[in-house]
This record gives sequence, structure tokens and C-alpha cells, in this order.
Amino acid sequence: MRDRAEDLALASPGILLLAFAFILPIAEMLRLSIVGHDGGTTFEHFTRFLTDPYYLGIVWRTIYLSIIITLFCAIVGFPLAYVMARATPSLRLWLIVLIILPLMTSVVVRTFGWMVLLGRGGLIPFTLWKIGFVGRNFTLMQTEAAIVIGMVQVLLPFTTLSILGVVMKIDRRLEEASRTMGASFLATLRTVVLPLAMPGILAGSLLAFTLSVSSFVTPSLLGGVRLPVIAGSIYESATKTLEWNFAAAQSVILLVGVLLALTPYIKLSGRRHG
Amino acid sequence: MAKLELIDIVKSFGATKVLHGISLTIESGEFVSLLGPSGCGKTTLLRSIAGLESVTGGSIRIGGNDVTQMPPENRDIAMMFQSYALLPHMSVRENVRFPLRMRKRGTRKEQDERVQAALETVQLGHLAERMPRQLSGGQQQRVALARAIVSDPKILLLDEPLSNLDARLREDMQVELIELHRRLGLTTVFVTHDQEEALSLSDTVVLMNGGRIEQTGGPQEIYAAPRTHFASEFIGSANLVPVLVGTGDTGLQAKLPSGELVPLDAQETTRGKATLALRQEDLKLLPAGTERPGTFHASVETQVFLGARIRYVLRVGDLRLKCLAPATDLFAPGEKVLVQVPEGRARIIAERGE
Repeated sequence: MRDRAEDLALASPGILLLAFAFILPIAEMLRLSIVGHDGGTTFEHFTRFLTDPYYLGIVWRTIYLSIIITLFCAIVGFPLAYVMARATPSLRLWLIVLIILPLMTSVVVRTFGWMVLLGRGGLIPFTLWKIGFVGRNFTLMQTEAAIVIGMVQVLLPFTTLSILGVVMKIDRRLEEASRTMGASFLATLRTVVLPLAMPGILAGSLLAFTLSVSSFVTPSLLGGVRLPVIAGSIYESATKTLEWNFAAAQSVILLVGVLLALTPYIKLSGRRHG
Repeated sequence: MAKLELIDIVKSFGATKVLHGISLTIESGEFVSLLGPSGCGKTTLLRSIAGLESVTGGSIRIGGNDVTQMPPENRDIAMMFQSYALLPHMSVRENVRFPLRMRKRGTRKEQDERVQAALETVQLGHLAERMPRQLSGGQQQRVALARAIVSDPKILLLDEPLSNLDARLREDMQVELIELHRRLGLTTVFVTHDQEEALSLSDTVVLMNGGRIEQTGGPQEIYAAPRTHFASEFIGSANLVPVLVGTGDTGLQAKLPSGELVPLDAQETTRGKATLALRQEDLKLLPAGTERPGTFHASVETQVFLGARIRYVLRVGDLRLKCLAPATDLFAPGEKVLVQVPEGRARIIAERGE
């Protein structure tokens, strides 16, 4: 027997948590973003953010870094997901464990690991220097490359697993049919697997993109203060300059940006199911 | 169109051997069925010809060229899958054009003409712009067929293509396959577990069991003269009875375990312990009391009405015999009947391993 009251009772802890920990703070954030210095309603924080070249530079960096990170995740994730989908079940399990394993270590530990690898005298610059690819010992830390490398590692599991779910559902016989019709392995991958995996690639990329534009720890630690991204800028305003209303306005802009990025996907998937 | 030669094909999956040295030559333009129960290796053999499985031993030649190590895309074959395997993200036209596109045959315009011609052949010219999911099972199958013949392959491989269709559509498609084969003359290998399908479609039937070829021959030959235990049981599901062959009052005869006698053709050479194959549809039932030489007594155990025919399960001593009789021969369960084996229909099978 099920009725409305029972359903509601079962769902209430979740709904309460959502209301107190998500909807209330978001509402408060929306309110704060339009409160001026004098306490009246104003859009000055938005105007300030969107007209200052410094902040626009931050927005631009956040967007293009996220796009690069997303592309890398998709380009690395698709072949990886394909190999995993076509591996034997036991091998697949090990591969999944392998790519999820980094997620189980703390962000700080992982980022410290990248510092060891990327810093001056670290393994990567030192090796490149010794091999002779670069003329001197250098550091990759505090560069956009460091942010991209670190973020791709964090986000790759999300993209790969999203693509894996879709590729697993592609009938293997379609690939076999394609081979018997004269398509080589790579041609089959391009003309059969890739188009059919597109929903997964899109979903995984959007996930990577939204997580990437709002990420804070990895860009701050690997990129440093000279390369701020939006999340870092919000953190600065909220904790260092104590401009809560300005921080709220930036958060609203980030939120709207992420929602805009999500709408095409929601529309696409809605059409598929409807 | 080309000759296909299989020379001592062996295939193992790990420690399991599924093909034990298959040798077979299929002449150019021949329609050959690989017939057998599931797990007999017929699909594995077909997939090996296509190059979708690599063989453990032996060699495969298409038109005289050794293709054993060649990837499937270079073998110039076409394969039709049981599930049709239409590419769901492409329209019917794009699906049929796919083999031409991948093999870079002709200009775009020539390809379009060939696609249209192939679709007309299967009477689907008007559905070219549809997506596969918008078609019925029968239509999807025609698309798969058009896609298989459009590139004029050297060998056409069909993997149980009719088994997902309902009975009426299947009969229509059988007729169409025969006509198509007569018109195009493609060397065709057809895998099926349905003996009627194999017998009605093919020039040659290759009966397989346990990864070996049991018997190869024309449909009439396979049906009339199965050489092994398995062949007689699988084709026409004959009754197999252990008998003693010897000479009696009326000439050569086989003695059933219950003591009943069945007359045999005089040219039969086997003597002593043997197996007698009695095809279900060959047994003739007569009412009790009309005894004559060459008949034996039985009682009706079960009667199953099949429409045009009735299947009886008869009991002769401890032995059970299945019999397919015309629906006009009505006998009630428990009734005593006489069984007559028409002349020439009682066949003795040489035991395997003799």
C-alpha cells in the first residue's frame, strides 16, 4: 500500500535537506546580490563585475580553460571508454577502479602530487630539460597548463564513465556489420561508434564543463593568485575583501552561466525521451 | 561471385575446440546451407569466413586468394545478421550506401543509382528516407538484404536471417531469397537450424554437429539417405530403433526388441546388431484386424492434432515410435493398430565408429 502521505514521509528528509542546505542559501545569495551599500535594491555589483576588464578577463580565462579541459577529457575519455566497454568484464572492473582511484584521494594530496611533478626541478620539467627538449630547468607551476593538466585528471573519470555507459549499450554486431561492409577498425570507430556514443560524450562533456567552471581548489593551488578563475574571485571577495554582496553577484553570474550551458542538453535529452 | 574453399578449419575458444577441421568447397554461384543444432559451430564457421573470428588452424580461400589473415573489411564479402544490424543513426538510403561509401565504389551519383536499384529489388524504394526504427521487422530485413547485395560481394553470408520473422513473412522471404539468388547468382552461405529452410533453399546442405561436418549433399539426397545416426534424427526426426538384422521366412528383416519383424530391402548389406531408422511420415497406420505380411502390432499412446496431420505416439513393447499420419487416419488413445513400413522406407544406419 502506498499513498501520498507515506511517499511524503519517505521523501521528507531529502526535501528538508534540499530546502535548508540548497534552496535557502541560493535564495539568500540571490537577495544579497541585489543589496547595495546603503541597503537598497541595486544592480551595481553586476555592473561592476561586467564592466571591469579585470573581471571580464577572469570570466574569459575560466571559460576558455574549461573548454580546453572539457575537450581534453572528451578526447582522452572516448577511446578509454571504448576500450573499457569492449574489454572482458573483469578487466573492465579493474580499469574502472583504476580511473576512480584518484577520486578517492584528497584534492590537496593530489594537487601536492602535481606540485612535485610540475614544479622547478620536478620530474617533468627536469626530464624535459635533461632530454634536451627545453634549454633550462623551468617550472610548470603557476601556469594555465598546470591548471589544465590537474583539472583533466580530476574530471576524466566523470567524462569517461558517462561515455562508458552509452558505449556499453551499443550493439557490438553493428561494429561487426560495419567491418564486413568494408569499413576498417578506425573507420568503424568514426562512422558507427562515435555518432552513437555522442549522447554520452555530450553528457560527459557538460558535466566536465560545469564542474570545471566552478572548480576552486585545483586552479588556485596549481595556477596561483596570478591566474584567478571565477570561483577563486568569489572566494577572494567573500573572505578577503569581505564584499559579500559582490561575491553573491559573481555567484549568481556563475550559476546563470552553468544553467545556460545545461539548457541545450536538457532540451536534447528531453526530446529523446519524449 | 567467387569460389569459396575452406581447408581444415580449426577454431578453439581457449581450451574449447568448436571446429574440428572443417573442409568444404563451395562453387561459384552455389547456395549452401550450414545446418545444425545450436552450438554445432555453424555460426562460428560463418563468422570465420567473414573474418569476424580468427581461425586457430587451416586456411580460407575466396576466389583462389588466401584470406585467412585478412581483416573482414578487405575480404569483399557481405553478411546479413540475425538481428539485421542496421545502423540506427542512418536512414535506409545511407545504410544501403554504407558498403559502397566504405569501399569507395563509384561516384556519389553512381552510388545513389545502385542504392536505388538495390532498394527497388527488395521493393523498398519508397522508404529510402525512413530511419530503421520506423520500419517493421520484415522491412528492416529487406533493408539488410539490400545492403548485403548492393556492393555485389564475392560471397554473401546469411546468419539465420529469417528466424526473427513470423511464419508467413518467413515463407515469403524464402521465395524471395531463391529468386534473388537465381537472378544475381551470388555465392551464398546460409546458416540455419531449420531443416525445412535448408532443404527448400539450398543447392547443397552441409549438416553439422559438434564442430564437424556430419554429411554434405543435395537436399533430396540428405533427406532420402541420411548416413549417420545424427543425420537421420535431425532431418525428419526419424525414429531410431536398435534391431537385429537377419534373414527370415520373408527375406531380409529387422527384428525389433519386442520381437516384431520389419522387412528390409534385399540389397541391405549390414547383418547383426544395427540401427533402424523409421521416418515419422513414412509409417502407415492400419486398423487392427487387417494383418498382412510386413505389418506389426502397436498401440496408440498419445494423439496430437496438428491440423493437416495427426502425430501419434505408438507403443511397441517397451519401444515408443512417433508417427505423422494424415488427419483422416483417426485412432483413439489406447486403440490397437497395425504399423506398415512401405517398401524401401526402412533404412539401416551403419553405426558410427564401425
